Formats: sequence, C-alpha cells, structure tokens
Amino acid sequence: MTEPAGPRDALRPTVVVDSVSVNYVVRSESGHRRRRLFAGSGSTEVIHALQKVSLVVNAGEVVGIVGQNGSGKSTLLRIIAGLETPASGQVYAVGSPILLGVNAALIPELSGRDNVTLGLLAMGMSRAEIAEATPDVLSLAGIGRAINRPMKTYSSGMGARLRFAIAAAAHPEILLIDEALGTGDAASKGRSAERIEQLREHAGTVFLVSHAAQTIEESCSRAVWLHDGAIIDDGPAPDVARTYRWWAWCVAKGEHARAEQVLADRRAAWVPVQVVSRPERRDRSAAIVRRERS
Amino acid sequence: MSTWDSPTDEPTRERVRRTQVSLAGLHPVGRRLPLGAYLRELARYRAFIAFEARSRLLTANRGMILGNAWLVGRPLIDGATYFLFFGVILQASRGMANYPGFLIIGVFLFAFTASSMRAGLGAMTGGRNLLRAFAFPRAVVPLSMALRETLNQIPALVSMAVMLIVLPPHALPRWSWLLVPGVVVLATLFNSGLVLFLARLTSHVPDLSVVIGMITRLLVYGSGVMFSLDRFITHPQWLAVLTLNPVYVILDLARQLLLDGIIPPVHQWALLGVWAVGSLVVGFVYFWAGEEGYGRD
Repeated sequence: MTEPAGPRDALRPTVVVDSVSVNYVVRSESGHRRRRLFAGSGSTEVIHALQKVSLVVNAGEVVGIVGQNGSGKSTLLRIIAGLETPASGQVYAVGSPILLGVNAALIPELSGRDNVTLGLLAMGMSRAEIAEATPDVLSLAGIGRAINRPMKTYSSGMGARLRFAIAAAAHPEILLIDEALGTGDAASKGRSAERIEQLREHAGTVFLVSHAAQTIEESCSRAVWLHDGAIIDDGPAPDVARTYRWWAWCVAKGEHARAEQVLADRRAAWVPVQVVSRPERRDRSAAIVRRERS
Repeated sequence: MSTWDSPTDEPTRERVRRTQVSLAGLHPVGRRLPLGAYLRELARYRAFIAFEARSRLLTANRGMILGNAWLVGRPLIDGATYFLFFGVILQASRGMANYPGFLIIGVFLFAFTASSMRAGLGAMTGGRNLLRAFAFPRAVVPLSMALRETLNQIPALVSMAVMLIVLPPHALPRWSWLLVPGVVVLATLFNSGLVLFLARLTSHVPDLSVVIGMITRLLVYGSGVMFSLDRFITHPQWLAVLTLNPVYVILDLARQLLLDGIIPPVHQWALLGVWAVGSLVVGFVYFWAGEEGYGRD
C-alpha cells in the first residue's frame, strides 16, 4: 500500500505472523475419580494450540492450511483475523482480514435480504456501500425471489451461497476461509470459485483451511502443514499436499510406523522461519522479503 | 514434542531461517485500540448495533401466533396481574391515594433495570458466535444488548401509561408527564453502563451471576418497588443511604411526575444524572480494558 508499485510488488507482504503461541487451559478429569468440591480444584492441563508459529505471506498468494483435527488450523485463522489474542507473538496485516463466517451474525428468522444488510453491517460497511454492494451480492448468491423469505427456510446450499456472497462483498484484502464453517463447499464451486479467483487477482491474499488435501492442491498456490500446533512444512501447494496426503493415508490405514517416519522426515527437513523486522527506508533496492539460510 | 522449533535444542546446527520483512503498511492485528480510536471504530458500527438490536427484538416473537403483539401484551398481562392481586383482591392502599399506580410504575421501571442486568450477565456468552466471526470492537455486543432492552421498554412504557389512565383510581395525563422521557433517557444511560460492566465481570467470572441474582432481589426491597421506603424504614441512616440508590431515584422521579404531578427537585435530577454518566463511563472503560480477553474458549 505505502510501498511503491514495481516489479517487486508481487512480494509485498500482506500477513506477517511473528512467533505466535496460543495456549488453552482446560480442566482435566483424568486420574482419580474422587469427587471434588470445586470444579476448579481438579488438575488443569495446558494445550499448546499454536507453538511459535511464524509465517510471511505476500500479496496474491492463496495459502492452504492442512493438518489433522486439532492441529491448530482454525486457531491460526482466528488469530490472523484478530478474533483472538495470542499468548505471545504478534500478527501484522494489511487492512482488516475477514473470516468467511458471517453465518454467526445472521438471524434465521430474518429474510435473506435483511440478512444481507445485517452481514454487511457486521463487516463494517456503511449504508451507502451496502446499497451499492447489495445487487452484486444477490446475483452472486443466485437465489432469486427466495431472498424475501426467512433464511431458515433455505436449503443448506442456498444458505451457504448467500453467506459466501455476503463475505465476498466486503472486498477484503485478506480473506480467510474455514471449511469447517460450512462455507467452503460453496466456495469451491462455480461462481464462488471464480469470485475467489477475482479476490486473489485484486492483489488479495486468501487463506483456506481444509482437511481435504485435494481442495488445497486444486485451489492454492502455497500450502502450510500444521501438526500439533506447529508448522512442519511450507511450500508449493502440490508438494506439501502430496506429502500430507501420503501421511494421512498411512494414518488411515493404521500404518503408524510409516506415518511417524513421514513426520520425522518432514521435521528433519523443515527449517522454521524467524521474522526479522527490517528497518524502513533502508536499502530500498533489497527484496521486500529476503530469505537467507544462515 | 517438537524439538525442531527451538534453535537452542540443536546447538550444532542453526535451525532457523531468518526472514527480513518490512512492516511498512502493515498494522498489528487483534490488539486493543487506545480509547479514542476505539470510540471512533465503535461509531463505525452504530448502524450494525441499531439494525441488530431491532432485528433480534422483532424476530423474538416469530414463533408465537400473536407475534409482535406480545411486545405490548406481555407488559399488559404483568401489570394486570399486579392490579388484580393488590388492587382488587387485597385492596391494599398502604396509605397512598393510588397504590396500584405506585406499584405499576415500580414494577415496570424496575423491570427495565433488572432485564438490563440479565442481558449483561449473558452478553458475552450469548454473543460468542459473533465474537468468533467478526473483529469489531467487542463493546458492539453488549451495546446491542442494551439497545435491545431499551427498545423493548418502549411498548412496555406505553402500556404502563395506558394502565395508569385506565385502571382505577385513574391517574390522568398532566403537563408533568412530558418530563418522563427525561427519566427514561437517564435510566437508559445508567442501565447501559450496567450492561457493559456486568458483561465483562461475568465473562471472566461466570460464577458471579449467582451473586448478581441476589443483588437484584435486594434491589427490589431497597428501591421501594412495592412499598414506600420512608413508611417502613425508620432508621434515618439507612433511609438516607437507600434514597441515594439510583433505582430508587428513577422510580421516585417517575412517581412524582406521573402520580403527584410534581416537578421533582433539582438535586434528585442531578443525583440521577451523576449515576447515569458515572455508570456509563465506569462500565465502558472497565469493559474496554478487558477487550483482548473476550470470546475465547
């Protein structure tokens, strides 16, 4: 934004995740079955949802995040969206990242049209911007006259299309999509897929969380593999997705020794990133992001 | 566990890739804004607060056959119940010319504060989905709750006025009634501060909601909802303390205006004004200070 446009514009960082850790303290009931007077007096367990995760993402990248359940994918997305504050570390971003999850603001008893207004207001759009954006949202959602019916009467497909259309209308510079939020299926099809492509071309950055390595391979340029809250691979989407798929296949087939071997190989090869803030107005000719192995 | 994420674990090999990044044009995400910037950001969401509060209120009765007629119907039934019991069955007067009117004003205006307190208790858990989807200032959620409660009061206050006129002994409209909206505005400011304060308090310590329920009950007795304080409390110090209580002042101002046709003394208005502004400022700053902790697991 403030950097001059030029041949290196493609390497303009839009999201910088700097050594982010997230911990959840949960009460554990394992061990003695003794009754306790106070729920809080039981043993507590700290879950390291993210451990010193660092990541630099540039304009125009579509980053897929893969990993098994509980590996921290959704947590990472919420941290990037600014919905949670990490225990340590910091995320820097251009503009306001938007998490594709407007369903949270929508009211099932309200008509589709009123829900469009509500969803757009929730993303911070003004009344004037909403009046301008609404026709586009309606045509992208493509649910015709049903737009005046309460949203709870919609089929799940119609609902998903409307939610996606609302989120995409904000023209976010950074769009975060979590398939677990039930909007991903719509996002990967037809008009919606075109729209993601459009968003990306607008120098946007897209993050996509999915269990399905196939989806990541097809729609992303880069993929990050999270395992137990830490990054263990980061690179071109096909490479990362293939390794992840091989590992997931081994796990599914019960070949745990092989799966462990895949993880061990990945960890041995993986070199974590350390973000170093480059002082501004110094050496402008240097690459915006320079990676060096020291 | 992961040994590879820490360079110190393997002293023989440098296990980290240093990436130089220019943070020009980027800003920190998920950090609490300073108070002034927070207020400006909050102002951007005022249309959302209004639309959300109105939509949730108007759709709350969708399942009912009579629909939104219940916005008026519920308070009417409430008031009629009290009138039936105290006015018709007990024929209580408690030494007052219009005891049913006294009671109806007490019950209705107390309900405004009590329901605001309940809204504050559940605000952050009820709004959890919103908090997990949007990065707006967190005060949007309790403020929308406070506005919904206020909008809910408008039909209730209109039915209160209708009942005062219709039910014997009739209290007929006078010029002093025109000042009642002033009391309602001050009560709204006071209650909104209460919602913000309780929203943060119970989001960190949910157990406190039990204590708050007890405080609400104490307030019923300590604010003269059902009886006149000076008739039953003979201890002068206690009486002095209780007449400073904001809920008592709200009820007393409304009763003077509606039943007695008296313009209340300036010191009572000033007292409620101090409570209203104080509650809003304290509630807001307290809520804002906890901004980074809401909506977590």
